[in-house]
Amino acid sequence: MQLSSKIHEADDFNAVQELYHSHGWTDGLPIVPPTAEAVAACLEWSMLPPDQLIGLEPVRERPILAEKLAINAVMAGCLPMHFPVVVAAVTAMLQPEFLLHGATASTGGCAVLLVLNGPIRLELNTNPTFNVLGSSDRATTVIGRALRLILINVLDVRPGEIDRSTLGHPGKISFCLSEDEDDNPWLSLAEQHDIPKELSTVTVMTAGAPRQIMNEWTTKPEEILETFAAEIRANMRHYSIWPGNYAIIIAKQLREHLQAAGWTKKDVAQFIFERARIHRREWADVGKGSVVRDRGDTVYPAMESPDQLLIIAAGGPAGGFGAVIPPWLGHKSHAVTLPIGACLDCGPPPTL
Amino acid sequence: MTLQVLDPSSEAHVAIGELAPRLTSLTGKTVGFISNGKEGTKGFFHHAETMLREEFGVAEVLLRVKSNYSAPADDYIAEEIAQWDVVISGLGD
Repeated sequence: MQLSSKIHEADDFNAVQELYHSHGWTDGLPIVPPTAEAVAACLEWSMLPPDQLIGLEPVRERPILAEKLAINAVMAGCLPMHFPVVVAAVTAMLQPEFLLHGATASTGGCAVLLVLNGPIRLELNTNPTFNVLGSSDRATTVIGRALRLILINVLDVRPGEIDRSTLGHPGKISFCLSEDEDDNPWLSLAEQHDIPKELSTVTVMTAGAPRQIMNEWTTKPEEILETFAAEIRANMRHYSIWPGNYAIIIAKQLREHLQAAGWTKKDVAQFIFERARIHRREWADVGKGSVVRDRGDTVYPAMESPDQLLIIAAGGPAGGFGAVIPPWLGHKSHAVTLPIGACLDCGPPPTL
Repeated sequence: MTLQVLDPSSEAHVAIGELAPRLTSLTGKTVGFISNGKEGTKGFFHHAETMLREEFGVAEVLLRVKSNYSAPADDYIAEEIAQWDVVISGLGD
């Protein structure tokens, strides 16, 4: 396989680390040396030629080639089997509705949340249960990290360069999880998008830091979900009033209460949609009175419609916990779900 | 043992435009502001307009506000730029 990237030489493993750190090519953690053999293995697994154009960065028109994605994926610790997810995630981020440049340059400092659905979760041995928003497993950790290294190296999204984040958050190191589809009767996030369960998908969303909630003192769906809605309302008061894709993570203990009462994801979304909204005047309660103006009675919903809520079943088996993951700029940047390893421009597969 | 490793950076140099020739004077010129529309821009551009008119003799100052502060300027703004002598834009909050 003919690779075209510039070759650097280093005396040993430690010298590689210093070389890459000195060029600003890392996130501060050690990297796996991207040798030609390791990079070629990723590309071969995905059946991609090195010069395959994955897409153009929409503002600076910078071409994004498969070879560069593979180099960064190897650096992040990806195995070849992880690489198709990385390619699909980058492709999803390049869709216009994601607003890639704004999302990666904004002072708002969001991360890119990745959610995996379908068979790929099992093929990559992901863990959607214990510590799911932390270092839950190898695959999701390295895939999330690969995405960040790609932004850093291929698009110069370094702090102080393209990345103008005031704060950022820890999800900007890696922010990837899989949904717990096997211990859960609900439709998966992919199935909610009418994608069959047999197909693997990745969903990307511009995401603030997770806000953890707890309600272990009821089994009533309305009371459990009121806690989630209140956390969303708090985000609307304290951070941004704009509607968009909120994600909520519902761990097993709370999920079982909802499911025992017969609530589907659609029911959950409808309830949250109705409850997660605030009056503009509430901003005055939190020190933002100067921008209420004459619109105090205006009601702002957290979502433009119930289907903007991404409901993700994940988390360890015990504990009445959940999380709200707020959007970056919800009314301008939208979550994108794409199949992994499928051709977007191709017709249906031929009948055998 | 020497390791050979690959460059992870873009290495792609895409020319998407070049800077217009620099002006030697602003006197009598038309200056356009491209604002991202955020709250803090109002006072900033008002003050900048005053300075340009009173201290630099600028003839006309135009303000255009992007419809999305996190996206490139709208097409109609990009087309209008051709009529201006100077464009002031940039990142800000």
